[in-house]
Amino acid sequence: MRFTDILHLCSQNLFRRKSRTILTVLGVIVGCCSIVTMVSIGSGINEMNEQSLKQMGDLTIINVYKQGNYDGFGASNSTGGQTDNKLDDKAIESFKQIPGVEGATAQMSLNYTITMTADNGRYIATYGDVQAIDMSQLENMGYKLTEGAAPTKSGEILAGQYLAYQFYDKFRPEGSNVRYQPQDAGDGTYWTCDSTGNCSQVPADQLGEESKPFFNPMNTEITLTIQTGDSSGGGSAGGSGGGVMMGVGGMSGSTDMGGTGSGSGSGTGSGSAGANGSGNTFKLRATGVLKEDYNKGSATSSGVLMDISQLKDMIAKADKSAAKTTTYEQALVKVSDITQVSDVEQQIKDMGFSTSSYEEIRKQMEEQSRGIQMALGGIGAVSLLVAAIGITNTMVMSVTERTREIGIMKALGCYVRDIRIMFLGEAGFIGLLGGVIGCLLSAVISIGINLVYMGGVSGENIWHAIVGGENVTRLSVIPWWLFVFAILFSTAIGLVSGFQPANKAVKIPALDAIKNQQ
Amino acid sequence: MAIIKGESVSRAGRPVGLARSIGPAGPARPTKSARPMIEVKNLRKEYPVVDETVVALERINLTIPKGQICCIYGESGSGKSTLLNQLAGMEKPTRGGVRIGGVVVSELDERELAAFRQRHLGFVFQSYNLLPNLNAIENVAMPLMFRGVPKAKREAIARGILKRVGLGRRMTHYPTQMSGGQQQRVGIARAFVAKPQVVFADEPTGNLDSRTKVDVMEMIVGFARELDQTIVLVTHDDNMAQYADRIVTLLDGRIVGDKLIDRAA
Repeated sequence: MRFTDILHLCSQNLFRRKSRTILTVLGVIVGCCSIVTMVSIGSGINEMNEQSLKQMGDLTIINVYKQGNYDGFGASNSTGGQTDNKLDDKAIESFKQIPGVEGATAQMSLNYTITMTADNGRYIATYGDVQAIDMSQLENMGYKLTEGAAPTKSGEILAGQYLAYQFYDKFRPEGSNVRYQPQDAGDGTYWTCDSTGNCSQVPADQLGEESKPFFNPMNTEITLTIQTGDSSGGGSAGGSGGGVMMGVGGMSGSTDMGGTGSGSGSGTGSGSAGANGSGNTFKLRATGVLKEDYNKGSATSSGVLMDISQLKDMIAKADKSAAKTTTYEQALVKVSDITQVSDVEQQIKDMGFSTSSYEEIRKQMEEQSRGIQMALGGIGAVSLLVAAIGITNTMVMSVTERTREIGIMKALGCYVRDIRIMFLGEAGFIGLLGGVIGCLLSAVISIGINLVYMGGVSGENIWHAIVGGENVTRLSVIPWWLFVFAILFSTAIGLVSGFQPANKAVKIPALDAIKNQQ
Repeated sequence: MAIIKGESVSRAGRPVGLARSIGPAGPARPTKSARPMIEVKNLRKEYPVVDETVVALERINLTIPKGQICCIYGESGSGKSTLLNQLAGMEKPTRGGVRIGGVVVSELDERELAAFRQRHLGFVFQSYNLLPNLNAIENVAMPLMFRGVPKAKREAIARGILKRVGLGRRMTHYPTQMSGGQQQRVGIARAFVAKPQVVFADEPTGNLDSRTKVDVMEMIVGFARELDQTIVLVTHDDNMAQYADRIVTLLDGRIVGDKLIDRAA
């Protein structure tokens, strides 16, 4: 028998018992819908998890520490059986060779007390994180610039986004010599505080001059002083601090700008001169401003970032007693795809280093949401099981009703195989039809759930409910494979349900037809 | 239809004459010189009923030559339908064998049997046995469909044969929309559409009125003569038996009579 003829007979038989077919298909639709909807909510939870993880940090960056230096949560499991575990340039190069690694860089911090001044010593900051990475890896590592470009020459740096707020103005009286960075309140307004600490909430466009820092780091040269040694460093720090304090103190009683200028100028000058003898003062120019990113450390907000070779030079010049830096405390490894993170991490551990990444947390969250997905899917599967029983029932009834017909067909020379295919085809078609309609329906349900979750129907919301988007959280997410799976699964359920009735059908003897029954 | 002798057929329904055509008991006589189409050798069929065995057929020996219209005649319970089932391979005999056109049908497996039925056998049933969800054309074309003949071709053949049985205007009707006689004509068209070598007809006129009976029998005989097909006709109606070339009489599972009808007379 031709396959098209079998299909034709199938559809005729299904059409003949319209209401029964529709009811059976309805059962499959409900089953399919419940599975897809339940799993889609699981996927939605997964998507939300991913989004919240992304806000925490770049999931594809692995932090590498030299062995035993890692004291974060989650014990490192490398036992350091290898000797080749110095975190040096050679190790960084070998990280880059690992398949799936996009880039790697050492990360260095300046562990000395520093002072930064700007505008010929008028603005002073006694705190600031100085960090260094391989500048060629800047983009790889996910550093973002709000303006400017990466440094290319010696003496060039990147300024943290709020670096300028670290500086006070020694020419202004106490109470108005600092500027506070406005805090985003999250609703389009900012908390802003004046120098005396009185804070208020104002809309973004009403932020006044007092909310801006004293200078723009992009066009102001910054002088960095590294204080080394015990006596000279301590002395210079004290001298500098004292000088400033005195200057400020002198300022408080006076309103004469010229007078305060000369007073404090001399104070700072003496301070830096005391510590300058060993060449520990460096003139730096910012070529760009970093976007604040807590995962990258405070250098991105209130410090400076420079190339690693420059930092090494500076340390070597400032502290003659320090050994030449060849190994690093920490390195960053960027992996091109999130699925390769755990592989790469394991390989780095095997090389004898400690690592940390968000992979561990991500895995836990993923397992958790997979568990939820499974549980929800299981609930849905129960209704599809009920639908499967419905299909079997329908097919058994159909076989019983058609006993005589099957006998006739066999008597006239129909192959048993064709009869089996016919019944399996009918059952499979019920499953397929239920699956397809169920998928369409659950797509509509999913969009509905999302619209309710997002709280309102608008053109933009409908679009986001369907495809999602940046910063859009959806409760129900249907990945394309879920549709494919649901349709295949429903069809398979139909075929399995039809198996027993089909076997029953083929066992009907041809003799039943030839018997003279009315 | 010159082969049918008018005087031997009564158009009025009359009671079945029981012993009228029962000839002398004994083994089947050799018939015409034509080569045998159906050969039955020492056939026995038993049925287990509760705790005893009922012998339905015993020591059946029968040779039907090609082109013969052979009537198996007998009362209810005589075993005639059982014999037909053995001949058509519907049931396996307890002992002995059935050979059709040289093929031992009692030894074929299910698939071979299906293929054999497709190619060589046709069936006309008492209760028509048309598929209710297929129209006349589709019912007639069914045996060709099982063989894998394309739809257009098989339906063209079915249309032709339906016209010949006088149903040219009822081709797209469904069984429920037709009378018993019309349904049986569709049944006959279906039996002959694939040009089988042997057609088994089990009480083909059992459910019909006497006038229609004659039409149906004439139709079966007419088709058979045309293509020199062998017909095995099971009936308990001696009027119908008169259309046959030969009447084999069964009683209690044994052949008790076998006589040739002389057409020339």
